[in-house]
Amino acid sequence: MRAPYEQSSPWGALIGLLLSLIAALLLQGAAARLIGGAGAFPNLVLIALFIWSIKRPFYVAPPVLLLVGLIQDLFTGGPFGVWALSYVIAFTVARDREADGGGGELGPMAVRFAALAAIAQLIAWAAGSAAIAAPAPFAGLIGETILTIVLCPLVAWAFARRKERSSFM
Amino acid sequence: MATYRSGRRRDDDIVRFPIVLFLVSLGLAVGALYVDRPAERPEALSQFRADATNALLPVFEFIDAPVRGIENVGPWWKRQFELAEENRALQVENAELRAWRDVARSLQETNARYRDALNLQGPTVGQRISAWSFADQSSDFVRSRLIGAGRADGVATGYPVVNVYGLIGRTVEVGQDSSRVIMLTDFNSRISVMADRSNARGLLVGDNSEFPRLEYVGRDPDLRDGDRIVTSGDDNVMPRGLPVGRARLGTDGRWSVELFSRAAPVDLVWIWPFQPVLPPEANPVPVTSPEEATPAQVQSEPAPLSDDEGEG
Repeated sequence: MRAPYEQSSPWGALIGLLLSLIAALLLQGAAARLIGGAGAFPNLVLIALFIWSIKRPFYVAPPVLLLVGLIQDLFTGGPFGVWALSYVIAFTVARDREADGGGGELGPMAVRFAALAAIAQLIAWAAGSAAIAAPAPFAGLIGETILTIVLCPLVAWAFARRKERSSFM
Repeated sequence: MATYRSGRRRDDDIVRFPIVLFLVSLGLAVGALYVDRPAERPEALSQFRADATNALLPVFEFIDAPVRGIENVGPWWKRQFELAEENRALQVENAELRAWRDVARSLQETNARYRDALNLQGPTVGQRISAWSFADQSSDFVRSRLIGAGRADGVATGYPVVNVYGLIGRTVEVGQDSSRVIMLTDFNSRISVMADRSNARGLLVGDNSEFPRLEYVGRDPDLRDGDRIVTSGDDNVMPRGLPVGRARLGTDGRWSVELFSRAAPVDLVWIWPFQPVLPPEANPVPVTSPEEATPAQVQSEPAPLSDDEGEG
């Protein structure tokens, strides 16, 4: 994982991190209401964590991932620990700077995120299935993973446009 | 896999966290997963979840309002074209129902007389509590909903929840002003049901799909495709006779139930305050003195043998 490119105030970034995570968590909690329990919705929390792990990697430490995962479990009504375990492991696996040659360009970043999302969703499925002592439906998670993978580059691109930079960061 | 090192090297722009942070976080996540298994969730944790959800109720309602608006834009236009036809159908149905209402009243009176004659006690069901379902908590692992009624409204754990079409689930976590309802489709949902036509018993088992399975129906069950399924009350968890859905036979020969509650989005719901029948040891007869005993109690006690009877 790269060191921060952003040189703005750490307090501003911290507030941005908190607000974006709270918004993502609340939207995630209300998401199923919009599309129904059987539908799929992108994992906004994963996207927010990934973007911040590039922008301000110091802030996305394992305890933060644990806490965010537990809150997501609480908001979505799932067993505690499913998303916490998923994020802690998936982000550890993804903390490899060689994976995309630095993580600053949009294309390699999208590829790295796709791998991260696939790992995170797979771990969440395994953990959730273990919690309910039965294999959870896989189709919903596949749809959620695809939507998440498609949405993340769009968010990153919009973020980059806002920053008026040629690359993502 | 990343290599964790303590601190951050000055000649490197890579951020590394101490491995102990990862291990502790991993341990806590696994511990949380083990403790919070839905089938064996501790009461204190359930209460914490209910209280936290209750505290977040205003926030969810705030988010839910525009979502409801967006959700209803498409259906509203579609609905306008269907209303005229539906209105005609309802008028015909209303005329038929008037006749059935008279029959029902007559049967109700007859039924009440029979109950009196047989001294038949039905399940204790109080006045139902209405509530709005304000957030869908369904995920790939849990099928549940939050409703805007809690302990302050008289809701307790285990109460059946129905919508206008039929049973949707039961309350599992009760906060002060909100409750969580586990849906019939959830993995952990088990309800005793029966076919209205034949009284054939079965267990409705949620499997996170839209059509919960009908298990333990026996080798040759008296079931037909389309049979109306209602709660049997055998489990002493639900009152008898709540409408559940229609039986459907799958291509693999297994029975499932198409829930009545799927007819429309779950919005307004009613909670039935149901008190299960307590076993005698949990509901003992109060001990009374001979002077306070009722004639029935006196009669039911064996009379002591008199001296004459004992000798004879």
